[in-house]
This record gives sequence, C-alpha cells and structure tokens, in this order.
Amino acid sequence: MNTVSKLFLMLILCLGTSAWGQEKNLDFENANSAYNTGQFERAVMLYKKILEEGQHSAELYFNLANSYYRLNQVGESIFYFEKAKQLSPNDQDIIVNSSFAQNMAIDAVELLPKPQITQLQEKIIDLLTQDGWAFLSVLLTWILVFFWGLYLWNNVPVFKRIFFVFTLVSGLLLIGSLSTAFIKSSKATKTTYGILFNKKVEVWAEPNKRAEVLFLLHEGTKVQMLDQLQEWQKIRIANGSEGWIKDGEVRSLKGFK
Amino acid sequence: MMGIGKTMAQGVSFEAKVSKRTLGLNERLRVDFIMNENGDDFTPPAFKGFRVVGGPNQSISNSWVNGKRSFSKTYTYFLTPTQKGALVITQASIDIDGEIYKTSPVRITVTEAVEVPRDPNSPEYLIDDNLHLVAEISNSQPYLNEAITVVYKLYFRNPLRISDGRAVENPQFADFWSHNINIPRLKVENGTYKGEAYNVVVWRKSVLYPQKTGKLSLEPLSLSLVIELPSNRRDFFGNRIVQQSSRTITAGRRTINVKPLPEKGKPANFFGAVGQFDFDALLNKKSLKATESFEIKLKVTGNGNLKLFNLPKLVLPNTLEVFEPEHSENVKTTLSGMKGNIQDNYTIVPRFQGKYPIAPVSFSYFDPKKEKYFTLRSSEQIVDVYGGPVVSSSSDKKSAMTNQLITNSDDSFRFIKLNSKLEPIVKKVFWDSKLFYLLLTSPFLLLIIFVLIIQRNLKISKDVEGSRLRLANRLSKRYLGEAKKNLKNKGRFYDALERALYNYLKARLKIKTDDFNKNKIAKFLDLRKLEKEEIQSFIALLENCEVARYSPATDVKMQQDFDQALSVISNIDKKL
Repeated sequence: MNTVSKLFLMLILCLGTSAWGQEKNLDFENANSAYNTGQFERAVMLYKKILEEGQHSAELYFNLANSYYRLNQVGESIFYFEKAKQLSPNDQDIIVNSSFAQNMAIDAVELLPKPQITQLQEKIIDLLTQDGWAFLSVLLTWILVFFWGLYLWNNVPVFKRIFFVFTLVSGLLLIGSLSTAFIKSSKATKTTYGILFNKKVEVWAEPNKRAEVLFLLHEGTKVQMLDQLQEWQKIRIANGSEGWIKDGEVRSLKGFK
Repeated sequence: MMGIGKTMAQGVSFEAKVSKRTLGLNERLRVDFIMNENGDDFTPPAFKGFRVVGGPNQSISNSWVNGKRSFSKTYTYFLTPTQKGALVITQASIDIDGEIYKTSPVRITVTEAVEVPRDPNSPEYLIDDNLHLVAEISNSQPYLNEAITVVYKLYFRNPLRISDGRAVENPQFADFWSHNINIPRLKVENGTYKGEAYNVVVWRKSVLYPQKTGKLSLEPLSLSLVIELPSNRRDFFGNRIVQQSSRTITAGRRTINVKPLPEKGKPANFFGAVGQFDFDALLNKKSLKATESFEIKLKVTGNGNLKLFNLPKLVLPNTLEVFEPEHSENVKTTLSGMKGNIQDNYTIVPRFQGKYPIAPVSFSYFDPKKEKYFTLRSSEQIVDVYGGPVVSSSSDKKSAMTNQLITNSDDSFRFIKLNSKLEPIVKKVFWDSKLFYLLLTSPFLLLIIFVLIIQRNLKISKDVEGSRLRLANRLSKRYLGEAKKNLKNKGRFYDALERALYNYLKARLKIKTDDFNKNKIAKFLDLRKLEKEEIQSFIALLENCEVARYSPATDVKMQQDFDQALSVISNIDKKL
C-alpha cells in the first residue's frame, strides 16, 4: 500500500507542476503592450523570444498569429493560429481570428464532406488532450479495481450486484478511453500537417518534371505531408487532391518553432 | 539629266541631254545638244567608245509668244556603244556671239547586252523607264511583334500621265497582324527616285506586326494603271495624239527575316508585349464596407503591340467575389505603330470583413530598341473591409457562411489574450510513459494481492483441524475465561466451570429456564441429534464438577478438566 500512495503523490505532483509555472512573464506583458501600441514587429520579436526560451501556450501562439496578421504575413499568421488551435481546439477567439487569416490566403480549398461517424469520432477524440485521456484511463483503472475489490469482498448479494454493475461500467469506460488514447496517439504520429510558405508552387502528378502540373497552391494553405523523395514532397490538401511539390517550403505543425 | 553649260551671258544656255544613262551593249543612245541662242561652229565631242549611227540632225524652233521670243536649236546624234563600262561623253562647244560655250561631260554606263533591244521611243520602253512602284519597308529584320511599316509609292514622270489606277491584288499579310492606314486622297508630290526627279503618289501604308519568326514573305501589291503617253502621231491641228495604254505593275515581293525574342533574361511572366510601356494597378477604394464593390484597374500605356498581348491576371484572396474583368482599349495605330492604353477593369465585392492583400502584379515587356526585357511591378496594396460578417472556421464552412450572415453579423477581429499560462514546450508526456503504465497496471496487481488474501482466509476457514482449534479458543475466551482465571483456586474453579457450561448451553440452545438438571439437558441435546457419547461426556463433565468441588483435586486434574470442557464444548458447538 505504501508504494501506491507514493504513486498517487507523484501523480498529484505531475498535475501540480503545470500550475506552478503560472508566474507572469515580463516578455509576454511587454509584447502585449507593444501589440496594443501598434509595434507589431516588436511584439513578434518578444513573443518569439518566449518561444525560444522553451515556453508556449495557446494564448502565446494566438497573440503571435494576430501580430503576423497585422503585419500582413499570411503564411506565418495561419501557421501560428493552427498551433494555437492544437493546444486549445475549441477557443472561440482563435476560431474567429483564424478565419480572418484564412480570408487573406489565396487558395480556397473546399473541404471533403466527412461522414457523420468520422465527425463524431473526431469530436470525441478532441474532447481531451493525449495526456487527458491517459489520466482518465488511469483514474478509471483505479475506480474499476476499487469496485472489483468491493465486489469480491462483499458477501451481501444486493451490494455484490451493485458493485458488479459498477465494475462493468467502469471497465467499459476504461476500454473506451484507452482505445481513444491509442487512436489519438497513432493518428498524431501517422499524420503530419504543414503550412505552405511558398508564394506560389506547382503541384505535379509525379515527382519529376516530365509529369504534368495538376494545380497551383499559394501561401498559407494547410497540407498533409505524406511521402518524401529527395527534394520532392508528396502532399494532400483538404479536398483530397494529392500531388508532389518541389523545393516546397512546408513548415510542419508538429515541430515547435 | 541636265548638264548645264557655262552661261557667260545672261539667258544663254547650252546643254547636253541623253535619253538614258544606262544602256545595254546592243542598245542605242540619243544625245541632244540644245542651245537657246543661235550659234556657229558647233564642235561635237569625240564620242569615244561609241559609234555614231545617225546624225547629226539639226532642228531649229523659233516662236514668239506675247511678243517674247523663244528659240531653240538642237543637234541630235544616235550612238551605239562599242564597249562595256563607264563611258564619258566629253564636252561639246559652240560659239555664240563670239563667246565659246561648252556642255558638261555626261557619264554613261554600258552594261551587258539586253535581250530585247528597246526602242527608246516605243511606249513599252517609255513606261518601263518612267514608271516605278516601290515598297518601302522600315525594317527588314524586326523582332517578333515589333512594328514595321510598308509604304507603297508610285513614281512616275514626264511624259507619262496616269489617268486611272486601281489595285488588282491587295496584299494579304499572312503571319502578320496588319493595319492599313487609310489615305483619304491620293496626292501627287515631288520626290526623287534613284537621284532623279519624279512625281510620287503614296498608294498604301500598312503597319505590320510579325507573328512568326523566321523568313516571312510579303505578298506583292499589283496595280492596274491606265497611262496616257504621247505618240509620234499628230492630229489635224498638229497636236500630238495621246495614246492610252493600260499596264499592270507589281512591287513589294520581299522577304522579311523575323528575329525571335532573346531567350536570355526572359521573365517567367512574359506574355509577348513588345514595345515601350508603363504599367499600373489602380484601386479606387482602400477601405469599404462589406458587400459594397470596389474596382481594380490594370492599365498598360505606351507604344507597342498593345492589341496583341494579354494583361497579367490579378491574383486575389479566395473569399472575394470577383467578376470577369472588363477589357477596354484605347489604341491609335499610326505609321509608327500602336499607341495608347489597354486596361482590365476588375469589379470586386468583398462579402466578409477583414483585410485583403492585393498581391503585386508584374508585367514584363521587351524593348526592341534597347534589346532588353523590363519588368514592372505594381505595389502591394491592402483593402480594408469593415462592417460585415466573418467567415467562420474552415470546418463546415458552407453552413457557417449562411448562418453567420444572419446571426453573427458583427463578429470582429478579436483582441489578443492578456493572460496566459506558459508551459514548457518540451513537456514530459504522461501518455506512453513508464509511470502511465505503472499506474495503469498496479491496481490490477493490488487486486490480485487482495484476491489472494481473501482466498487464503477462505482456505483457513475450510481447514477442519485449525477451525476446531480456533473455535475452542473463541469459546473458551467467551465462556471459560473466568474458570481459566481461577485455575489456582479449586472451589471457585469448578464453580465457574459449572456455571460456564450451563451458560453455554443456555446461550447456544436458547433455553430460558433456570431449572437445569441433567435429564433435561440430556433430553435437549438429544433433541438436537447429538450422539449419545457426546451427551454422555457433557453430563459426565457436569457431574465431575459437582464431585470435584468436595473432593481433593490436584492442579493437574483441574487442568485436565478444563481441557476436557473445552473439547466437549467445541465438539457440541460444531454439531449444533
């Protein structure tokens, strides 16, 4: 029992560390006031300094994206809005301002309509972060074991029945949350999205110049990065079209830069 | 044609006139020496290289018009050359009123024999010699799309007169973009052709823009002319009869070598504009309300093939509604080429608020004079649209667009967030960590341990020997506790033991009565289906207690009795 209580303590510590890093950052304050006085270059510089120091947050990416939007840099702006969305997918401010930045982009990619099941699945997956699902799984495991233990220990048939139902429910929930966590993690490792930074780039049918040009893309378009062959990068855009681009400046949304 | 002689006195002229300056070896040449005062002692030149085939013929004309005398005396020679090359008819001299006058030497070029020796007086010869149609081309080696001009000029001179003319075949300039410059009225002007005085009519002017590279041929222009020329015959009044002859004359079969535009330094966005241009993109509004419209004008002004290239396309953000551009041209074509401006007028309606960058448009052209490419760029401009709805996030765009138009119409650009919880970027990930798996599996281990404990307890309870022992212990604690305390005191011990046995039965069999005797007990126990032996041992134990109270007993005996009571009770307890 002693080890378990130690583990619990560690868990609480883990959760607590995020709360400890809350002290106000001077650079962040300065950047905000620079933004408010219209010195967007300075704001960008300060926000980036925080990033370089190894710290981030949805708000930081959001403010940085807003500064780039004010400076009319479409690609950078969309990139940081996407990063903000990664950390906080349901923030209304981010969604609204991100659509302003999307307005500036030249490409209009029509979305492939998704089946409702996929939409529902994505919604569920995005309910919690990766670690959120992990914590939930651990919590559910403990609840499951607790009820299971009660079920085994108790001799009164009514209680036994109640605890059995509790055990079953928490067991199902555990399976659900664990599989969601696994799906989310495999999805995250398999699919990489990036933002295009080329002003204009041709998308080819094959990774050589003998093939035909399929379409043109412009700065700020979100693409899924697929295979790579030398300087050629295979991409897929939101409407499902695929192709190869050469010397493309696609900045991956996975990296933190 | 005029060799003006030395004119010593006023009004005296003496000159040599030749019918042609170039002739074939088998042709004839007529030389006239004309003077306007009578003279004597005419000395002809030597005519070196010529043979005199006729002459000298002398003719004199003398007339008075309004009291004014005009006189002319002519010596005529017909010559035929005897050798090729440049020959000179040297000076002739005459004595007029005691003064010696001399003509200028005349140079004659004698060429190879011509096939048909021409009679200088035949109409054919006269027409050929005095009528020329010439196509003047401004540049026979232009670049692709560089303007060139073709001017057709008709040269003629006395004694020909042209009474009528029309084009039999107007040239079709294939492989060229051509523009014919209208000539409202044909005008006769003075001009020179090969150094000689002629009358000139500009028949046709065309501006051409070659559309292909390589050797391109120009189709000729054919004119059908009605020509009046004097004949040798005279009418009744002595006037020369004018002879009319019609003649088709052709000119301008020319080859033009069109140079391709240089590949070196050719910009990627070159659409074939050649000339000198100026380019601009003009916005009529910089900020406007959503659903209002604004215009962008792409305008090219200058000299060059304005009608022959397309304006660059405007690249605009996707959420702007753009109508097909309206194209307008204001181009004048003169002999120097096209001049003016062309423009594309885009009408744009923004539906959502926000900032829209109008990407710079670049326009490239080739300057054939400087032989270089130039690229002009319009500056980047930003249109600010306010007061409209915002396009919502990219997901389910369609429904959002229509929804937001109605409900969320003043969603404006949000301000930055002022508070933030900064976190380390490289955070320890809980998922997939050792701790995660430990916490996930450890409860199950605990559960297994728990189950093991429960199972051990169960096992113990099922163990007969052990359970008897434990039962005895429990019973002895409950009922025989007092007896155990008094093991040293004989009287009290047996008293307590007896009471304990009764108490036990009372509690176990739930007998309320106080009057216990051995028979009753035996009956009760028998009712509970105890075996005879056990009942007997219980009764014996009770009897023993009674006896032992009054008999000497040792500590060992007391211990024995205590143990026996314990075993009897536990035996009965199990059966009950």
